[in-house]
Order: sequence, then C-alpha cells, then structure tokens
Amino acid sequence: MTTPDTRTRIVAAIAKIAEVEPSRVTGAQRLREDLGMDSLGSLELLSLISEELKIDLEMEDAMDIVTVDDACAFIEKVRAEGERLVPQV
Amino acid sequence: MFPRFEPEVADDDARALLAEVRRFMRTVDAKAADDASGFPPAVLDTARSLGLFALTIPSAHGGLGLSLETACVVIDTIATVDRSLAITIGLHAGLGTRAVVELATSAVQDVWLPRLAAGTCVGAFAATESGAGSDLMAVRTTLAPSGDELVLDGEKSFVTNGGFAGVFTVLARSPALGGERAHSLVLVPADSAGVVVGREEKKLGIRASSTTTVRFDGVRVPRAHVLGTPGRGMDHAHDVLAWGRTLMAAGCVGTVRAALGATLGHVTTRRQFGRTIGSQPASREHVATMASKLCAMDALVRYVARQTDPRMLGALSPIAKVFCSEEAFAVCDQAVQLHGALGFLEPFGVARMLRDCRVTRIFEGANDVLLVRLGLARATAKESWSGAAMGAPSGARDLAARLDGVVDRLRARYGVNLVRHQTILQHLARAEMYLSAACATWSRGFTTFDATLVQLAVEDLLTRAGHHLDAIGPAEAREDRVLAITERLYGTPAADARPANTEVSP
Repeated sequence: MTTPDTRTRIVAAIAKIAEVEPSRVTGAQRLREDLGMDSLGSLELLSLISEELKIDLEMEDAMDIVTVDDACAFIEKVRAEGERLVPQV
Repeated sequence: MFPRFEPEVADDDARALLAEVRRFMRTVDAKAADDASGFPPAVLDTARSLGLFALTIPSAHGGLGLSLETACVVIDTIATVDRSLAITIGLHAGLGTRAVVELATSAVQDVWLPRLAAGTCVGAFAATESGAGSDLMAVRTTLAPSGDELVLDGEKSFVTNGGFAGVFTVLARSPALGGERAHSLVLVPADSAGVVVGREEKKLGIRASSTTTVRFDGVRVPRAHVLGTPGRGMDHAHDVLAWGRTLMAAGCVGTVRAALGATLGHVTTRRQFGRTIGSQPASREHVATMASKLCAMDALVRYVARQTDPRMLGALSPIAKVFCSEEAFAVCDQAVQLHGALGFLEPFGVARMLRDCRVTRIFEGANDVLLVRLGLARATAKESWSGAAMGAPSGARDLAARLDGVVDRLRARYGVNLVRHQTILQHLARAEMYLSAACATWSRGFTTFDATLVQLAVEDLLTRAGHHLDAIGPAEAREDRVLAITERLYGTPAADARPANTEVSP
C-alpha cells in the first residue's frame, strides 16, 4: 500500500500533467480515458515522480500502468525492491 | 514523366484505371488552379466520373474497393501533376471516409457510403483546433447526450475539404460516453443545423485545395452516428490517420517524380560554361541523389501500404510520413536550385512543387512530434528491431544490432527520464527510419528501378542511419547549452526547464 505522503506526491504529479485539480484525482481513474494521458503523458508522469521521489524507474515496467492506483502500486513496488538515489555526478 | 520511373500495379483493372487517370491528368492545369485557389467544376466532375472518390470504398457500396497500395499508386499519379487535387482526393479516400468504412453501423454505411463513393458527398476529417494541433488530447469540442441524440459544440481548424465537404468525421471529447477525458468519433452531415463553415484559408501551398475552419453550434446528430466504440475515439483516430499518412506519403512520391522529371529536362538542355549543367559532376551528384530518394520513397510507401495488420500499419505509417515529407522537400528544393533563377519563378512549376510539399511536414502529425513518439516507441519496445524481416541488405544487420545496443544503453542510463531527452529520441527515430527505408528499398526497389540506383539509395540510407546513431553522444553533451541559450532567448525560464544536467556522455 502506498504511504500517504507518497500517494499525495504521485497525485500531485498526475494533477500537474493532466491539468486537473488534485482533489479530482481518484484511484480508479484511468490515466488515458479519465485523465487524458497518452503514452507520452504517462512516461512524463513517471519521469516527474522519479525526480520527485529520487528513485530510478525502469522504462519497460512503466508501460502497463492503466489507473492512478496502478501508478501508486508500481512506485511502491519499486521502493520495496530497494529505494535507490538518482546517480549524482 | 519518365516511363522508367512510373508506378506499376499488379492487376489489369487497376492498370486500366491508372491509364484513365493519366489521360485525365493531362487535361488538368495545376498552375491555373493554383492561381485561382480552386479547381474548375469540370475537374471534380471528371474525377467523380472516373471513380476517383470511390477508390477505397467497398464495392458493395458502389466503391472501387481498392487496396491501400493501389489507392496510393493512384494518388501518386495524380500528385505528379497536381498536388492540390491529390490532397483533395487523398483526404477523402483516407481520413474523410475510412472511419465510415471501418467503424460505422451498416445502417449508416448504407446511407453514406454510396454518396461518398459517387463523390456527390465529399468527406472531411475535423480534429485539429486552435489549442490542439499535435496534442489532440487537448481538443475542447464536446459531444454530449441529449435525449435520443447527441449534441456537438466546438470549433475545428484547418479542415481539408472543409469548403465543400458533405459530411465530417469529427473528433470530440465525450465525457458521458466513456470517461472524463474520453473521446469519440462522430459523423456529422454538413447540412446539419448549427454547422458553420468558415472562409478559405490563404496558404503557402496546395492553394487549389480547400482548408477552412468549421464551427459546430449545438449540432444535433443521431446516436447511431458515433463511429466505432464510444469513448475510444482517439484510438480510432490513430487507425484512420495510418491510412491518411500513407496516402499522403504516396502523394509525396508523385511530387518527387514530377520534380525529378522537370529537373532532368532542364539540366540536359541548359548550357553554361560550354556544356550542359547536367554534365557537371556536382550536378550529377545532386540528380543521382534525387533519383535515389525517389527510389527509396517509392519502395517504403509500397512496403507500408501492403501491411494488413493494423498495428503494423499504425507503427510504420508515421515512418513513411516523416521520411517521404522530408525527402520530398529536399528533392523539390534541389530541383529549384538546379533550375537556377527559373526555379524561383512561378511559371516554371518547380516553385509550386516546393510550396505544395511544405505542409506535409506539418499536417497529419508534425514531424518533430512524430519523431519523438517514434523514438519513444523504439525505446520502450519489448522486442529488438525486426526490420531484418523485410530482407536486410549487407550492413543493415550490423546497424540494427547497433541500434538495439544504443537503446539498451539509453534505457539503462535514463530509465523513464529518457522521455525528457527529445533530441536523443529523435536521433533514435531517424536511425530507425533510415534503416527501415534501406530495408524496404532493398527488398522492393529492384522490381522498379535500376540496380545501381537501388544500391546507391541503400548505401546512402544506411550511412544516414549510422550518422544519427553517432550523433546521440554529442546530442547528450549539447543539451545543457541548448537549454541555457534558449532560456536567455526566451527571457523567462521555459515552462519545462530542468535542473542542469552535469552528466557528460562517455
């Protein structure tokens, strides 16, 4: 289950890309049909989350995300597998 | 036109149709139509009588039922004389009617397809809006239930055939039909109350074709006019666009045939410095390059148009669209250059060819956006590059392996953040595009073109593919400087500014 803070940040990122109020984003909403995000938008969302939460997200796993809940579960799964910092140069 | 460069078709009926089309096109005055910004009525009447509005409509509904490949050859042939007419007929054959053919109910098809086939009703596709061009998800036109009907409100821009269409396929948001941000395609008769067609746009090129705004003010349509699945309009639009892009690419091939033909006539007669300009080695290089581009464009369009799997057509049609639009502009530009001052004057025709093909890099998906999406598609693909299945020439397999290696490196380095590195994605897309064109040219070019020309074309394409893979490292190193320069030029931070990336490519 996603921690409240993580979920809040994910929802904020979704709201920013979908150009909707965060309060109108619900877990069951589909990124494409309900929030107007195509494949490009979905990747931009994950990129934003990756920067926000300082985690690496693999591209291959990102393509099966359909709903807001899917996005939260995916992020949480990555964190559970071992949170890694974005490489610093 | 030069007989050795004319497109060929397999069956006798199609060959007879092409012969009729060529005879018809000899009577069409493209310059006069361009000057008048419209066709004489007789031109469209004759086009109707030849069945040119029936190309892709099934024979069961009065159409010719041609395959996409054969329809492409017809559009190619028309475009060798008049690109505006090719756009008009090509739009009708693709975007203007495809959704009705594939997605409408049989009752709707029975009413509309015979009219569309006869050309008494011309089809148009209305998707773009002032705030939604490449970003179709941003369309604001709405489709909402009202009793037994649906009500359409909004305004569309740059609608080809808008000035004389009899029916529009419209992309609209339809929150009540599939989700808050879902979209639907709907068929709208042009004579419906509330449909307001704007004035004709004044354009750089394709001036004889019609381009207008269309406003829908509380237009009521039957629910049965929704095309395909309510709420899945964006997916349906992309399927329809696949046909539209392929037909557009075919038109580019026709323009290049004309530009090359005009150039050959000029360089073999115009004399400077005591010899024909065509005999100069530099001119020979240009002419051979133009011919090799024609060869590659023809082969790629044929390859793409033969795809029967909609997913393959959807994946390959943007490649054909970008490749052919760019090569056509390059060939026409070179044709103007080789004509010297005459190329810059309207009466000689090559200036109009250049103007006419400029829009092809913009509409049906702006090339920059398509390249980013193609690059992302390659970067996120689960399978490695499969172009070798087309029949790979020597050198292509090594390049394909290199392409896969670059994709692996970029994935490992950037993960999902690769989406922000658009220039890199575009280089990746171009590498794949030239590799695809090389393989298509190798597998199909020999049936139509001289073997030496095919080999030259393939070598050039593989070289270009390699250059774009080479360019990815330097592009990575340039990004921060490009960001800094544009921020100063814009005066305020760009909306998508990122923190400076201090990583340098090894």
